[in-house]
Order: sequence, then C-alpha cells, then structure tokens
Amino acid sequence: MNCRETLPMLSGYMDGELDLVNRLEIERHIEVCPECAHHVRNGRDVQAVLHSARLYYRAPSGLEGRVLTAVRTAERAQQPRSRALLRPASGIAALAALLSLLWMAFAQVARANREAAVTQQVTCSHVRSLMANHLLDISVSDARTLTPWFNGKLDYAPPIVEVTRQGYPIEGARLDYLIDRRVAALVYRHEGHVINLFTWPAAGGDSQDLRQESRSGYRVCRWTMGAMTYCAVSDLSAQELMLFAETIKTHTVPLEYENCK
Amino acid sequence: MHVFITRRHSAFEKAILPHLDAAHNLARWLTRNDQDAEDVVQEACVRALKYFAGYHGGDAKAWLLAIVRNTCYTHLRRHRSHELTLPFDDELLNLVSDAYNPETLFLKGLETAEVHRALEALPAEFREVIVLREMEGLSYKEIAEVTEIPVGTVMSRLARARRRLQTCLSDSHEKGIHHEL
Repeated sequence: MNCRETLPMLSGYMDGELDLVNRLEIERHIEVCPECAHHVRNGRDVQAVLHSARLYYRAPSGLEGRVLTAVRTAERAQQPRSRALLRPASGIAALAALLSLLWMAFAQVARANREAAVTQQVTCSHVRSLMANHLLDISVSDARTLTPWFNGKLDYAPPIVEVTRQGYPIEGARLDYLIDRRVAALVYRHEGHVINLFTWPAAGGDSQDLRQESRSGYRVCRWTMGAMTYCAVSDLSAQELMLFAETIKTHTVPLEYENCK
Repeated sequence: MHVFITRRHSAFEKAILPHLDAAHNLARWLTRNDQDAEDVVQEACVRALKYFAGYHGGDAKAWLLAIVRNTCYTHLRRHRSHELTLPFDDELLNLVSDAYNPETLFLKGLETAEVHRALEALPAEFREVIVLREMEGLSYKEIAEVTEIPVGTVMSRLARARRRLQTCLSDSHEKGIHHEL
C-alpha cells in the first residue's frame, strides 16, 4: 500500500472501522511512512482535544416537558375522531367480535360447501347405481348376511336397518367411494323406486333433523344419528322420502344397545 | 381513552426520550443557536411521531437523529438560507485540505472556547460528521444512515473534517502563542 491508497483510509483506521486485512496493511505502511504516521498522530490529537473539551450540549431541563406537550397535542390533533374506537377495551372487544363473526361465516360457508359436495356425490352415485349392473355388489335381504359381508371392506360397521314390513325391502348392498372414503350403500326398494341409503361415520355431532335437498330431479335426505351420517337418495317424492327416512330412523338400533346384545 | 394514549405514547416516548440529549446536541451544533436548537428538537419529535408507525424497531438513536438533521436543514433554509452554501462537494474541498502538513500539533493546552470556535467554523457537512462520531460515538454505518451518504464518503469526510479542524486549531494556537509573546 502506498500513501495515495492509505490516506483515504486513515480515519477508518483510527476509528476501528476497517476490516482486518486493511488494518494490517495500514499498520505495516505506517511503520515505514513518517508522513502517514504523522497524519494518524494529528488525527488522534484532534480526537483527544474534542473529547477533553466540554463541547456537548445536553438537552436543557425544560426541553423534555416541552417536547412531550407538543407531541401529545399533535397526537390529539391527528386523531380527533377515531380515539373512542381505538380505546383498548372496546378495540379488543370489537376485534374479537369481528374475528368470531368472520370465523362463523367461514365455518358456515365451509359447511355449506361440504354439504353441497356430499349432495352432488351421492346423487351421482345414485344415478350410476341405476345404470346396468352397478346397483348391487351383493344381493341379499337380511342383516345377518350383510353385516359380515361388510367386514374387512370398510373401516367401520354400517348399521343395517331392516324395514321390510314397513314396505321397504332391502335388495342388497354395494361399496361406494364418496367424499374421499369408502362408504356403505344399502339398496332399498319401495313400489318400484330404488332408494340408495349411504352411511358413514359422522364428522361432527348429532343433528337428527332431516335435511332434504333436490338435485337433478333426485331427492337427497340427510340426518345424523348415533355418530353415523345417513344419506338417502331416490326419485321418490319429497314426502315419500321423508317417510322412508323417518321409518329408518325409528328402527335404527342404537349402537350402545347393539353392543350389549 | 387516557389509558390508551398514555400507553401508545409511552412506546414512542420510550423510543425517543433516551436520545433527547443527542438530538439537542446535534441540533445545537447545526443551528449554532440555543433557541433554534430547542425549536428544532421539538419540531423533529412531532415529525418523528408521524413517522413512528413506519418505524419497526432497530436503532432508535440513528432514526431520530436523521429526523433531527433533516429538520435542522429545513429550519436553516427557512430562516437563514444565506448560511447554506451551494451543494457540498467533497472533491473540491479535497484539493485544499489534503496537502501534507508536517507541523506537529501541541493541542493539549487549548481552551474549550477555541475548540468550540474551530468546530463552529467548519462547514455544516463536516461539523455533523464530527459531532456524530466524536460526541455521539456512532459507527460509520449509523452516520451514513443519519446523513444519507455512503459509508465510504463518511470515512473520507471525517478525514477531511479532522484535517481542517487540526489546521484551524494550530492556527489559533499559534495566534495565541504570538499574542502571549
């Protein structure tokens, strides 16, 4: 390093702002160059003078109060109206209310979407089942044969409700794939109409109310009971499908009872 | 309401009040006047409050000093525009003050008043880097942040500021010696 390169870096050297490589280069240069060494000494002298002289202007005692007053006045002038809203208690409450409202709306929409998807899928499955040879995997009409047939095919035991005497004989059963899982489909017949009854473990709590929708000319009736969701699809009239659903509901043996048998 | 304002201000106050001395020192050296310095600090703090929403932690001192510095220059432009010279040119000043001065300094006996006068006589651009470095102990990076110039320029400006100060102080020292004789 020569003087031309060293000179601009001397203050950085004095202030300890150089990296190791440059610092060592400068140290080496100063050892052999009296001019640059002189610059450093002079610089340190100036530093010493500045540090020893009483040059610092501390804030006068009244300044802090003056600043705080000005700042608070400015703050009040800045937000004259929004202050009440920004009060912490009401602000937090409002925020919480808003969040819970948003959450409820979100949950509502999500549920509606899920239900619409289920309705669409069971309707499609019902229509497919009516096409040639898609209706039944097994053609038996009693629970005693059907229950073991589902064994190993599903990760749950679908309830099999026999309501032949009420006018809804079982024709058989089928495995189906709905809402990302394998589900049981029981096939009932009522005065020539096919009723598909899908059952799968419920995701939420019980909602024994019957909810009916129609899609593409078919009716879908849904309810949840004993941790199971039931979904009946048919081209029966709304009233007839409701009657079927009620019949199934009243004849469903509670799970606890079944386990005790 | 009062609870809230106090709480919100206390975050702002916590950020600026510890640096009120630094703010005042810089303002006083740049304006060279007691009353102006206090006015500038007050105005700068009100400005800082407006920008506080955009301040996300970090070095509060450098942040506040940058606002104080800008407020100082606005104040000087408004009230004492004759004091501000043309845009500062580091290279131009370089020609004058980079010459080698073989004189050895004996500054130890200098009076505070002499040092004070020499520093006040420096151009504002030199004065501010000296104040920020020697009195506030800011790093080059922080000085660069406050004065909005590159770190390399901070280094060369400090070098020139010190050489100027040294020349000025030796002159006044010599005069003092001659005076005594």
